[in-house]
Amino acid sequence: MASLADVDKHRVTAVLVSHNGAIWLPEVVAALTSQTRPVDLITAVDTGSEDASTKLLKSARIPFFTTDRESGFGQAVSLAVDKLPQRVDHEWIWLIHDDCAPAPTALAELLNAIDDRPQVVMVGPKLLGWHDRTHLLEAGISIAGNGARWTGLEPLEYDQGQHDGIHDVLSVSTAGALIRRDVFEELGGLDPNLELFRDDVDFGWRARTAGHSVIAATSAVAFHAQASATERRQIDVAGAFLHRPLLLDRRNAAYVLLANSSWWMIPWIAVQLLGSAFVRALGYLLAKLPGYASDEILAVASLIVRPGMLLEARKIRKKQRFVTARVVATYIPPRWSQLRLGTERLFEIMRARVFPDDKSISVSILDSAEDEDLLTPIKSVNWLSVFKRPEVIGFLAIAIISLVNSRNRLGAIVGGALPISPSGATDLWRTYFESWHQVGMGSSLATPPWVAVTALASLIVLGKVPFFITTFFLIVPLLIMWTAFLLLKKLTSNNWISIPAAFLYAISPVTIAAISSGQIGTLVLLIFVPLVAMILHDWWAIDKYSWRKIFAVSLLFSLLYAFTLMSFVIAAVAALVVTFENFKEFSLTQDKNLWFDRLRKRLALVFVPFMVNAPYSFEAIINPSRFLTEPGLRVPGGGALAALTGNPGGIGSVPLWLISPIFLVLVVSLFSSTCARGIAEYGVGALSMAVFFGSLSISTRGNEGAAKVWTGPVLSIVTLAAVASGTVLLDSLRQTLILSHIHYRHFLSAILIFITTAYAVVAVGLNLTSGANSAVQANRATVMPAFLSVEAETKILVLREIGNVSEKRIQYYISRGRDIALGEADVAPQQNPAIAQAARSLIDGTGIASSKTLADYGIKYIYVKNPFKKEIIRSIDGLGGFTRTSATSLGVVWKVSQPTGRLLFVAQDGVRSVLEAGEFGARTFVPGPGTLILTESSNRSWQVLQNGYRLDRTNNELGLPTFKVTESGEISLLHDGTVRRGWLSLQLIFLVIALVMALPSGRRKSEISEEELA
Amino acid sequence: MKFGRSIGLLAVLLSALCIGGLLSVAVTTKSYSESYPAVVCPPTITGLSSQISLASKKTPFQRLQNRTTKTAPVKVLRLPVKRDSLVFNSEGVTPVVWQSKASSWAGGALCTGPATSQWFVGGTADITTKGRLIIVNSGLSDAIIDIQSFTENGKQPLRTITVVSKNYLIIPIDSLAPGDKNLTVHVAPRSGRINAFMIDEQGKGLKALGGDLINFAPSASKSVMIPAIPHQIVKNTKALPHTLRILTPGDVDANVTAEVLSADGVFVPVGLTSRSISAGIVTELQFTPNITSTIMGIRITSTEPIVAAIKSTVTTSGKKDFVWSTSAPALIPLTIAISGLNPLISFTGESINVALDVTLNNGKVVRKILKGTDIATWRAPESARSFTIVKVGPDTFAGALVSSVNGYGYFPIAPGSVLTKIELPDSNIRVLNP
Repeated sequence: MASLADVDKHRVTAVLVSHNGAIWLPEVVAALTSQTRPVDLITAVDTGSEDASTKLLKSARIPFFTTDRESGFGQAVSLAVDKLPQRVDHEWIWLIHDDCAPAPTALAELLNAIDDRPQVVMVGPKLLGWHDRTHLLEAGISIAGNGARWTGLEPLEYDQGQHDGIHDVLSVSTAGALIRRDVFEELGGLDPNLELFRDDVDFGWRARTAGHSVIAATSAVAFHAQASATERRQIDVAGAFLHRPLLLDRRNAAYVLLANSSWWMIPWIAVQLLGSAFVRALGYLLAKLPGYASDEILAVASLIVRPGMLLEARKIRKKQRFVTARVVATYIPPRWSQLRLGTERLFEIMRARVFPDDKSISVSILDSAEDEDLLTPIKSVNWLSVFKRPEVIGFLAIAIISLVNSRNRLGAIVGGALPISPSGATDLWRTYFESWHQVGMGSSLATPPWVAVTALASLIVLGKVPFFITTFFLIVPLLIMWTAFLLLKKLTSNNWISIPAAFLYAISPVTIAAISSGQIGTLVLLIFVPLVAMILHDWWAIDKYSWRKIFAVSLLFSLLYAFTLMSFVIAAVAALVVTFENFKEFSLTQDKNLWFDRLRKRLALVFVPFMVNAPYSFEAIINPSRFLTEPGLRVPGGGALAALTGNPGGIGSVPLWLISPIFLVLVVSLFSSTCARGIAEYGVGALSMAVFFGSLSISTRGNEGAAKVWTGPVLSIVTLAAVASGTVLLDSLRQTLILSHIHYRHFLSAILIFITTAYAVVAVGLNLTSGANSAVQANRATVMPAFLSVEAETKILVLREIGNVSEKRIQYYISRGRDIALGEADVAPQQNPAIAQAARSLIDGTGIASSKTLADYGIKYIYVKNPFKKEIIRSIDGLGGFTRTSATSLGVVWKVSQPTGRLLFVAQDGVRSVLEAGEFGARTFVPGPGTLILTESSNRSWQVLQNGYRLDRTNNELGLPTFKVTESGEISLLHDGTVRRGWLSLQLIFLVIALVMALPSGRRKSEISEEELA
Repeated sequence: MKFGRSIGLLAVLLSALCIGGLLSVAVTTKSYSESYPAVVCPPTITGLSSQISLASKKTPFQRLQNRTTKTAPVKVLRLPVKRDSLVFNSEGVTPVVWQSKASSWAGGALCTGPATSQWFVGGTADITTKGRLIIVNSGLSDAIIDIQSFTENGKQPLRTITVVSKNYLIIPIDSLAPGDKNLTVHVAPRSGRINAFMIDEQGKGLKALGGDLINFAPSASKSVMIPAIPHQIVKNTKALPHTLRILTPGDVDANVTAEVLSADGVFVPVGLTSRSISAGIVTELQFTPNITSTIMGIRITSTEPIVAAIKSTVTTSGKKDFVWSTSAPALIPLTIAISGLNPLISFTGESINVALDVTLNNGKVVRKILKGTDIATWRAPESARSFTIVKVGPDTFAGALVSSVNGYGYFPIAPGSVLTKIELPDSNIRVLNP
């Protein structure tokens, strides 16, 4: 190389560091040698390349030497600099990576930029992508407070010269960086602790605090492959634990920040580093990149375990510092800019998902044939024609019907299966999270997950649960019709068939009954079953589904299981039947892989949602009646015959004489030669299940009497199958009927259409008239009078006649002074036999001991709700042990004569007294040694602490938790919720796993194509 | 087969339906408790004597004021009662109490279960009265009772009293409407297990005018049947008069017609056709039917619900007495203990067809069939301890007349306690939902 002192005053020595860079090295060497301002000296260092790098250097006649494979970039550069001739004035070192090819004018432009800037000691070019040379990589760099490498550019930003110019920056990349040799040596070169990555930022930072300037000159251009960062080659440097570039990058980022920042900033930076590491780790976990997630955590951990290294680094920097560290503050990006960038990226990802870019080729205006427009008649929009579209007519009709039908449901609704809604979502969350429920004699049962789902969904209306429930019941027919339409339009292109079919689905017996009786679970199923059918239409060949899809559908199933575990039973039975068919296929083909693949995926589909709904679903195994129940209060169904007609029966259902065409359509479709048969097979299968379930009578916790199972969830599938098969049948039959002579098909079709129309007309009529007087109504008076709610947490035995006029039954339950709220019926405990006997004895007049029993269980009042049989009121009057405290139009109240309460204390002399007790826990004073009786159901989580010690707990002969008190003093009663928290954590883990598996996977950088990386 | 699977699925559906049918049959959901409420007999107040007729010596009883719930068998078929009110677990047999004042009067009443409404038509609150209203609370809690009196001067102020548990209260009936002559009392407990009894005893100075135990009617109705009224004819020529006392408790005047049913025929006595009875006013109508029969019945029809009774003057053992014949409900199968009473039973109805079993003291049971139109009478044998109505036609009514040394009495043939079938309640959290 000839000296170019005659060209300018500078002397430039290019230091090329290579490490397995044979792919890029030829171009790099060519670029170096073809500079318009030639390099004065080129020296190369090879760090133990195993490819053809050294050969290439040798053939390019570049002097080089080799170092250890583990040598870092800075170490290699320092070795090269050490071997250079004596330093001269204006000598510059041009750092060249083996994957960075400077443009021919790069050096000239760099030198040009520093000519009039003597304070500049480091200058870097604009870095563009190696593959896509319009992709702007960097024009100066910095580091964010959380350690992120900050370029200030958007991802994949296109270089249009928008950032051109000479900019003061914190630092520039070492790829193509020109550094004044004297300063390089003064500062000790690149930090040897930073073997790779972030050594550039660190050097720039140190140069800045030493009073120098660093600039990026964008007129100089270099093309950088970023081979190490993008995992195009293995990282072999000594500090790269497990050869993981991300780990090294994050560790070095933290090192740079902690070594260079002011002391007082370090705690805040440490918090930022830790926090962002956890957040990023979580993000990587969600993207199923656990390796990257561990890199994030390990990076911080590896630094924390070596504080000495940091202290040493800070000591060195302190010596080199000539100006305050604050000079770099202007180059550190503010936090809001990181937040803004992150938000923009998130929105861009969402936008790209929701509104993908239109890939269609845009037509140039030059290509348009404007002359033709003159010949085309002008299009005018006739707004009235909009109302002739079946979609508009159908949805408008269902909206009007729903509105008229809901005229008595505009307000806080309650009745049927639907208890009173709490005022806020927080109450629902509390019900979900609490370990002890004040229902009846108390319960520790797991709250069903639908409570949490409802609480979450109510956030749409700012957590106003009553408003949310009312709105849900108002719009649910629309939602049901909409999802059905989504499915049906895939079965026929004729909206005049799909819309009426969807309309029929929305006014089907099961929909009407579910709305009228407040069956939230069935309504949710009615909404989502069409979507499930759309997603799983080809689930015979489930092997074709990706695991991601399986988990995504599992999440949808989890939602359905959360509302009713009957959906688990349906899914399990369906999976069993299909698996049996698969097995038959396997016995023929002997394709073991296919068979097991299908089996695994089906099992995952059925059981993953079951686990996501733990512990509620697990408890169902020991309480199997939960598999057949719905959220809220249990409303009896209409039995097997009603189910056969597609009608769940029970309160609020359409009368049984109003036979819907469901059964007829299914039977006709079953013998069709179209795909309607396949759909009808599912329908008839589900109908068989509904008929069987409908004949079962179960008793659940909170409802001792056996009552018919509500078959709504199964019938939603039956109804959808009938509607879908009818749609297919009609779509295919229409043409046949037009073209053929009159025969039995015409008559059959006429009968079907007549029955369907008759049903639709009568059902709509009922909906508009008597349908509004359903069990679910708004603004109903509460059962419990206000004066009984005054005493907090008082147990009251409530007797009431329930049923319709023709059949009324006396029933009872223990109230806590208020009506039950949403979610409480689902956790109601089993009735205590002694209390049940006492209540029965009150009714038949034999209950001389009822008063004592009730007092023993802490029941303070009896409330008989009017209207009630007067004879029984007399009977209670005659029993003794009760004192009438009121008799109003609402009902009659007796007080149990014996003193009783939630927390009883029996002194050693046998005197019983009532202690103050709160809703759950209590802090109260015990007068002396004795026995403390908590009149709640027995549960091992009840604890009483005195002087920091836990009192011995036993169950007395009544099964109530009792505690032995040895001395007087203050005690604390509490219910330990550790078990519940444990179960909830398990549920969260299952949910997160399912969520992660369902989310799209992230890609390792090594998996991203070079085209995408630029 | 092309449709093999379809047919298979239909077979599965059919099987599900069949299994479902079998399962539905197997489930029973209701449980009941059946019992006869214990019946209460009135206490014996000072100066009176009481005997209670029972059907079995094993009938358990207890004294009202006993705090224990223990019972003891009566050991006799006619139990003399010294003072206290007695409670019997007679299990469907209605005991009859016979009270009398030596050489003055006698009367009978049914011992009944607790009542929610009792109308006593009879008695007077003027200076001649020595009558008492007895309120018995057989329950274990204190009871609150409303007493509403009506007289010829209209509705009297409501009186509300409290009777402590397992006790009784005696109220002089002249305190209900002092000075008024025609009394009708409605006893309506607000709470408690209550039975009320009324004694109408009259005297003028030291002269006893007679007395009776007045039976009650549970409610007012538009059709009232008084099945047994003694009609005595003095010296074979002069019939003793009767007084019909009627009250329309509602707010609208009633139009009333009374029809006499007797062996001499069915007729409306003069002055008892379409009589207007003012609402809230106790009205008395005198009539003396010219019949030869010694027993008659009266059917009263009204445009508004009424309560009514007939006061008949009788002489027994040469002494004057009066009897309050009150309305009786339609006859149903029942058993009444009549030990020592030897009553004359009068059945009324358009078509009387009654089969009854008489249980004699020696345990033998004799079947008796009574048929007739309008009115039929039957006197129970002296050795009868009880009789049971086994079969009865519709709209048949019966009352019993008993004559004793001390006086004459009446009681309706009605069950003192009916079998109460109560469906036992289930625990259901739904009671806490509106």
